[in-house]
Formats: sequence, C-alpha cells, structure tokens
Amino acid sequence: MYLFKTEITENRQLSPSISCLRIKAAEDFCRKAAPGKFVMLGNDNELSDPLLKRPFGISNWGNDWFEVVIKIIGKGTAQLARLRRGAAVSVNGPLGTGYPPPTCATCDNDNETLILVAGGIGIASIASCLLPVAANRYLKKPTVLLFGAAVENELVLLDEIKQSTAGLRIETITDDGSSGRRGFVTDLLKNELENSTALTFACGPEPMLKSVQQVLRSYNAQGYLSLENRMACGFGVCLGCVQAIVGNAGKGQNAKVCTQGPVFAADEVIF
Amino acid sequence: MVDLKVEIAPGVILRNPVLTASGTFGYGREYADYLDIAELGAIITKGLSLKPKTGNPGVRIAESACGMLNAIGLENIGIDSFIADELPLLRALGTTVIVNIFGNNQADYAAIAAKLDQVEGISALEINISCPNVKAGGIQFGTDPEAAANLVAAVRQATTLPLITKLSPNVTDIVAIAERVAAAGSDALSLINTLMGMAVDLDKKQPLLGNVTGGLSGPAIKPVALRMVYQVAQAVKIPVIGIGGISTARDALEFLLAGAAAVEIGTANFINPGIAYEIVTGIRDYLEQRNYEKVTDFIGSLQ
Ligand SMILES: Cc1cc2nc3c(=O)[nH]c(=O)nc-3n(C[C@H](O)[C@H](O)[C@H](O)COP(=O)(O)OP(=O)(O)OC[C@H]3O[C@@H](n4cnc5c(N)ncnc54)[C@H](O)[C@@H]3O)c2cc1C
Ligand SMILES: Cc1cc2nc3c(=O)[nH]c(=O)nc-3n(C[C@H](O)[C@H](O)[C@H](O)COP(=O)(O)O)c2cc1C
Ligand code: FES
Repeated sequence: MYLFKTEITENRQLSPSISCLRIKAAEDFCRKAAPGKFVMLGNDNELSDPLLKRPFGISNWGNDWFEVVIKIIGKGTAQLARLRRGAAVSVNGPLGTGYPPPTCATCDNDNETLILVAGGIGIASIASCLLPVAANRYLKKPTVLLFGAAVENELVLLDEIKQSTAGLRIETITDDGSSGRRGFVTDLLKNELENSTALTFACGPEPMLKSVQQVLRSYNAQGYLSLENRMACGFGVCLGCVQAIVGNAGKGQNAKVCTQGPVFAADEVIF
Repeated sequence: MVDLKVEIAPGVILRNPVLTASGTFGYGREYADYLDIAELGAIITKGLSLKPKTGNPGVRIAESACGMLNAIGLENIGIDSFIADELPLLRALGTTVIVNIFGNNQADYAAIAAKLDQVEGISALEINISCPNVKAGGIQFGTDPEAAANLVAAVRQATTLPLITKLSPNVTDIVAIAERVAAAGSDALSLINTLMGMAVDLDKKQPLLGNVTGGLSGPAIKPVALRMVYQVAQAVKIPVIGIGGISTARDALEFLLAGAAAVEIGTANFINPGIAYEIVTGIRDYLEQRNYEKVTDFIGSLQ
C-alpha cells in the first residue's frame, strides 16, 4: 500500500452525475493494482472538509496512471468529480482484496462462462475485469456483461468496454426501460444461469447484491460480491466497515470489508 | 538536536511525546507500510475486554463538518487473543506498547489488569472509563466521580503497571473527576475521549447510526479538548496526555503548551496513516528553530 500526493491528468464527464478521473501514479502502485481493488481518495487541501478520504474502485490502469469513476452522491463525491486536470489529490492504495484471479481452483474451468453483473455505479468495479490490459486474462473464458441502471445515462463506460474487449456480449437493462430491457439486472442473471454453468462477479447497491446472492443460491452457482460498506480508514484500523460473514476462520463473525474484502464469496456474506 | 523525551508516568519514559490513540491504530502492524512505528512515542492498542466483543450492528460511521461520528461499540479480539496473536508482532516492531482496557464492571477491569500484569512487553495500561457501568444501572463510570475513583482504586490493586485513566468529556465538571481519579492512584490522565453526538438521515427519517448515538472526533473537537486539558493540567500534579482533533504538529504543540506532557493522535491517522511521524518531525523542527534544548522546557509554558 502507498500513500501519496499526485494529480489529476484528465477528467471525462460520462453523464451529468458521473465522471472518470485519470490520476498519475508510480509504476509500483500500478503493478499492485488488480481487479476489484480500491483506493481511498481525498482532496489535497488543508481544510478538513470533508474530513475523510472516500473509497473508489480502481476501474482501469496502465503503467503510470489509474482511473476512478465517480458518481456524485454527496459532498465528497461532488468535490472530487469537479476536479480538473492538474488538481492535486491524495491517494491511499491499492487497498483490499479484489476478485479472484481466473486461475483459482474454483474458476479454472474453461467451459464455464464468466458473468459480470454491474448495478449502477457498480460498473466502476466490474470494469476493472474488462478495461485494464492486465485484466485480459479474465477474458479467456466466454464472458458476458449484465449491466443494469436506473436510467439510460447511467449506463456509462460501455464504449470503452466495447473497444477494449471486442466480442464481449453485453446485455443492458434499466429500471424505467429507457435503454435495453425494462427490469432488474437479476432478471438477466437468471436467464444466463438457466443456460450455462458460470462463475459470477457482481458489484452494485446492497439490495441488488442481496438478490444476486439469492439467485446464485437457487441455481447452486458460484459467485463473488463486491460490497460498498461505509469506510473511515480503508486499511483495517477503524472497524467502521465490518460485515457479518460465515466461516471467518475463527476470527469472529465480522470481516473488515476494506482488507478481507471488498470482494467476498457470495455464500459467505450474511446480509 | 532537541531532546524530545518525556516521562508520562513514573518510569515510563517515551522517546517523544507523540502517541497513537486507542481505536485508531488497530494493533499497530496495520501501519507498517506507512511509517516506522519504532519512531513514535508509544502505540496505544484498540480497547480490549476480557472476552471478544462483536460491537454494534448497522452503520458505524458518519461524517460531520470537520469531524466524524463513530459507533463501533468497542469491537475487539479479546485480551487472550491479543496476548497470543498481536502482542508478539507489536513487540517485534520495537515500539513502546500501552494497552487500552475496558469492562462491563469493576471485576472485569481488575481481571484484565491482573492478567496483563503478568505479561512482558507492556509499558502501561490506559483505562477507558467511558463504558456503561452495568451494576450502577448503566451510567458511565466516567461520568460519576465516585464510580470513577472506585474503579481506578480497584485496578490499582490488581496491577503494578503504571495506570493512565482516560477521561470522558461528557461530564459537567471534568476537573472534579480528574482530581478524584488522581487521588485514587492513577499515575497519569489522558483526555478527551469522544463527545457524544448524533446524526439523522433526513430523507429516511431515521437515525443514521445503527446505535443511534455515536462519538464525535476529529478537528471539530479540538477546542473543547484543549480547554479541558488546560483546566485539568492546572488542577492535578500527575501528567496529562492531550487527545482530540490533533492533525498537525502545530495542533500537538498547542496541547503541549497548554500543559499536556504528551499527545495522542486519533482520527488524523485515518486520513494520513503517516501523520504521527510527521507530527514528531514537525515538533522537533519547531523547537529546534526556537533553540529549545528539550521539549519539557516547552511543555506548560503558556503565558
Ligand atoms: C470499496 C468501495 C468502492 C467504491 N467504489 C466506488 C466507485 O468506484 N465509484 C463510486 O462512485 N462510488 C464508489 N463507492 C461509493 C463511494 O465511496 C460513496 O458514494 C462516497 O463515499 C460518498 O461520499 P459523499 O461525500 O459524496 O457522500 P456523503 O453521503 O456525504 O458521505 C458521508 C459519509 O458516508 C460515506 N458513504 C456514503 N455513501 C457511501 C457508499 N455508498 N459507500 C461507501 N461509503 C459511503 C462516505 O464515505 C462518507 O464517509 C465505493 C465504496 C466502497 C466502500
Ligand atoms: C473509530 C474510533 C474508535 C475508537 N475506539 C476507542 C477505544 O476502543 N477505546 C478508547 O479509549 N477510545 C477510542 N476512541 C477514541 C479515541 O482514542 C480518541 O480519544 C478520540 O477519537 C479523540 O481524538 P481524535 O479527535 O484525535 O480522534 C475511538 C475513536 C474512533 C474515531
Ligand atoms: S474502513 Fe476502517 S477498518 Fe475498514
């Protein structure tokens, strides 16, 4: 993990409320980045307002830069999403335990489909399995992206994803039917699981993750969920982010989402 | 080179006056990537109880202007697991270790203190008295001078380790409690713990924190902490350790000036995990520029 001051090199607005910041970083940081890991990102001012850094998934990276995709929710995200090229920021990362690499015992099965499920800004985390050159190894498996959002203009990053991963099958769905089908992304997940054995990675709001967990259970399918609990420190010292999980190797019921997660095996999480 | 050594309790001499506050520094090793822990005055552990504790359910963190509320609920691994699994690692890092303890009743506190008395590598105990006293109907030990003094006397009996009593600011007269605790045998005092606060989710019409109330920390509480440290340092003869919103070397120096023998850094560690060491060097630079030979000449020199 590294703590460093750096600068924004580009701010691309993806929708009225979503921006993608490209941030300069050392090669060593980029080597330690991995799909599903995150950073704590702060304004580099002395005003203590907002006080805490905010957690964001590392959605893409190269040799000397990384990107975060920020949806404006409140004060902290509004300030960060407005930063322009050259603005100073303070970064702690890469943090956490991300998605399991595709060579792990559970997913070393080439006939299996990889299903990526993104709900809303959850695409920022899911994109880390698709965009970075370093993540290409995931795509040796047949892969499908299921992307649900409230409205059409929140279906961001699709152009980038199509460019970086030619041939990827993408299904979109919106709550209001403004793009793709109308409904929930878990409806799409059910369809996929009807047709194939699959490994699923999902990131999105908690209600979505809950229903992904139920769907996976009902199909007896394996998967991983990336959680978004509130965090104060991001590196395991405040205990603000804990989540009840099963089988925590004798460490009690609570897991620290910031260090043991944010990605957990879907079966483990007790919502 | 200015001498930064301070004595925060009889025989407890620290290499400098910068400590880390309980609950904000884990068990130390989590910071190994960010700073050399041996360069700090001391590490104070997360509050430990006799048995492991799961803490509060629901949302535990909320932010407010220049501060944060926490309702962790004293989640911890329990004293036995600390001694077996964490203390050896912490000792290997070469730092001075102070263990923060709490319990549900006097007997719990005394039992932990007795247990730690037998353990090597611990320099002092910090007694967190801001927990509900179950026997006395759920009031906090820390808000009743009588209960606080009795508790400290009981812990005093149970251990020969130096005792630092950590005071709650949620009281009418902190000086009265400080005096009683000092008379009961505490070797030093540390203050302040968090200020009780609350946050609501306006649109959901619900309390934001799972526990409804939480403890406020961070820069927002610094003036309150500074005032209390100043008043208590004037009133008692034992060393006082200042805590509350310290985020820069200048903040730390203000507490030393007001009479604190040392300071603890809390919330600021979350934002900048390297801050405690930056504060050590900042204090050194400031005193060197003003030709101080030792930090103890500066402590309490407020005019
Ligand atoms: C591991 C992880 C990865 C994340 N990745 C992304 C990402 O890639 N893109 C993105 O847009 N958002 C992401 N989030 C959510 C993002 O951190 C919050 O939206 C943001 O912290 C809100 O800050 P605010 O000041 O705008 O909101 P406020 O509501 O004003 O924040 C107040 C406090 O609540 C916390 N908070 C509020 N909402 C959330 C939330 N949903 N999750 C976590 N903490 C919250 C804040 O950190 C802050 O401490 C992620 C969260 C986590 C835990
Ligand atoms: C997340 C969190 C957890 C804490 N846990 C403890 C604890 O276990 N025991 C204790 O005595 N104080 C605990 N505290 C209080 C701090 O040690 C300190 O007294 C307080 O936060 C004020 O200092 P600050 O403003 O520098 O953070 C905790 C504070 C925070 C923010
Ligand atoms: S955010 Fe502090 S322990 Fe996880």
